[in-house]
Amino acid sequence: MSVGFRRTLRRRDAFRLGLAPALIVLAAITIAPAAFLVLTSLTPLNLTMPDTAWDFSAPLGNYLDLLDDPRFTRSVWVQVKLSVATVLVQLLLGLGIALLLNADTPIRRFARTGLLIPMVLPPIVVGIVWRIMYAVDISPFHRLMDWIGLPVGSLITSPDAALTAIVIAESWEWFPFTMLMVLAALQMVPAAPVEAARIDGANEWQMFRYVVFPYIQQTLLVAGIFRLIDSIKAFPLIFVLTDGGPGDVTEVTNYYAWRQTFQFSLWGYGSAIATLMVIGIFVLSWAINKLTSPTDAEAG
Amino acid sequence: MPKQGDRSARAARRARNRLRLGDGATLVLLVLLLFPFVWLVQMSFRPRTDILGYELAFTPTLAHYRALWTGAFPGSFVNSMVSSTASTVLALLIGVPAAYSLSRAGFRSSRRIALWILATRMAPPIAFTIPFFLAYRFLGLSDTLIGLILVYLTFNLALVIWMMKPYFDSVPRELEEAAWIDGCGIWSAFRRVTLPLSAPGLAATAVICFILSWNDFFFALILTRTQASTAPVAIVNFIQYTGWEWGRIAAAGTLVMLPVVAFSILVRNYLVRGLAAGGVKE
Repeated sequence: MSVGFRRTLRRRDAFRLGLAPALIVLAAITIAPAAFLVLTSLTPLNLTMPDTAWDFSAPLGNYLDLLDDPRFTRSVWVQVKLSVATVLVQLLLGLGIALLLNADTPIRRFARTGLLIPMVLPPIVVGIVWRIMYAVDISPFHRLMDWIGLPVGSLITSPDAALTAIVIAESWEWFPFTMLMVLAALQMVPAAPVEAARIDGANEWQMFRYVVFPYIQQTLLVAGIFRLIDSIKAFPLIFVLTDGGPGDVTEVTNYYAWRQTFQFSLWGYGSAIATLMVIGIFVLSWAINKLTSPTDAEAG
Repeated sequence: MPKQGDRSARAARRARNRLRLGDGATLVLLVLLLFPFVWLVQMSFRPRTDILGYELAFTPTLAHYRALWTGAFPGSFVNSMVSSTASTVLALLIGVPAAYSLSRAGFRSSRRIALWILATRMAPPIAFTIPFFLAYRFLGLSDTLIGLILVYLTFNLALVIWMMKPYFDSVPRELEEAAWIDGCGIWSAFRRVTLPLSAPGLAATAVICFILSWNDFFFALILTRTQASTAPVAIVNFIQYTGWEWGRIAAAGTLVMLPVVAFSILVRNYLVRGLAAGGVKE
């Protein structure tokens, strides 16, 4: 008996050894930088002024400054608008297309593969694709509108339309994500209730609302939260299409943090913004974990 | 019963029409949604004098691709290749044993570790770039491929653990236990029994790591300058120096996306699991 017990212990040690390198590396590349980021956010670090490093005389200075920085508040607001709009469009578009593609014909099988392309393109290429679509002099879209007789001015340089232009490009890039997730969920809908509802004479809408939807609502929720969190990282599209402009109408918080840090060299200030972003995202992640991990009753 | 047969024939016809209607709608949607993408590709083959043309009939030219060959672009392509491959291999080497250990050992802390890994996946890149940039200045790793490979581990390592653990969960323990009884150590049983059985998952994980590293723009933009700049950054540098020279930009974009589009079609069935790692229940 004791031989077997010792063997189990040895096995546990072997597993600890297998896990250790990953945990050490993860700690070095995630926890250490996070701690460093928070420390930097407590200093007025500016790389052009060396004596600002490790100056903790006013640790909360950056955070207090953020409270009355209207550009920061505006960037949060832009972020909220961008996130809400893109997540909604992606959910509706992804859901609609998934419902359409959920039939086994050659064309739809082909479309299921073809339509995932936008999502896997390098984001910088998505930026170029839409930069071409939005360039008044060369865009086929603008030429079409001219031809119809409804010329449209440049979207990305108009303060009223620039954010919408970003929303369109971002939604195009990521609708395949919700589409794929909903398609996977639709495969899980059992045939029996669908058949029963059909025999009872349910129409299309009733069928979707009362039979199919309950099976996919959890997936929609998860897909939405994932897209919400990723939308906070928006950068390449804005970089290529508008550079945060015109003015600051497309400057999301991430972009503002980048500008403060890497263009204005205000490292402490940028770190404070990044720290707040991390906190915000962790609150959202915690929500995901709550929503997706099996409840104790299920796990037991 | 003729009436009954009549009705079912009508129902079958209606179902067929619905299917055809759906196919038609799918085709229209496919063309509309992929149009911007196809437009970029066709532009890359259009002669310079006709770059804004829209006639379908034109003589394709490789001039833009040839022009790219002479600049800094090929070097950046190699950088992309090296950094993405190396980071993928490193993440697999460290992450696969960790995923296996988490799957088999039943550590009490495994839920907390899982949460930590999910948090890594969620954290905004800006939070990593600021400390990494400062540390790299100090360590002399700015604008090096090693620096890039390390920073890509921040997302690849978490992804490997998240994706591989469910695969190992689904391999029956009895097979390994049989190997243990035959005198295999834990890790040799893992290498000879479990790993071959999870080969498809391993391949898909590797491809997704590669795609994520290859597609990165933000880290490479900040942590590299000239020596180690990757293909996406090279495109931007190129635009900043020569302006929007559409044909050449379209050609560069087409080249950069080619490997990832090909790879993604190969692993399309695993994509959701990889991209939503942690959010999809198996």
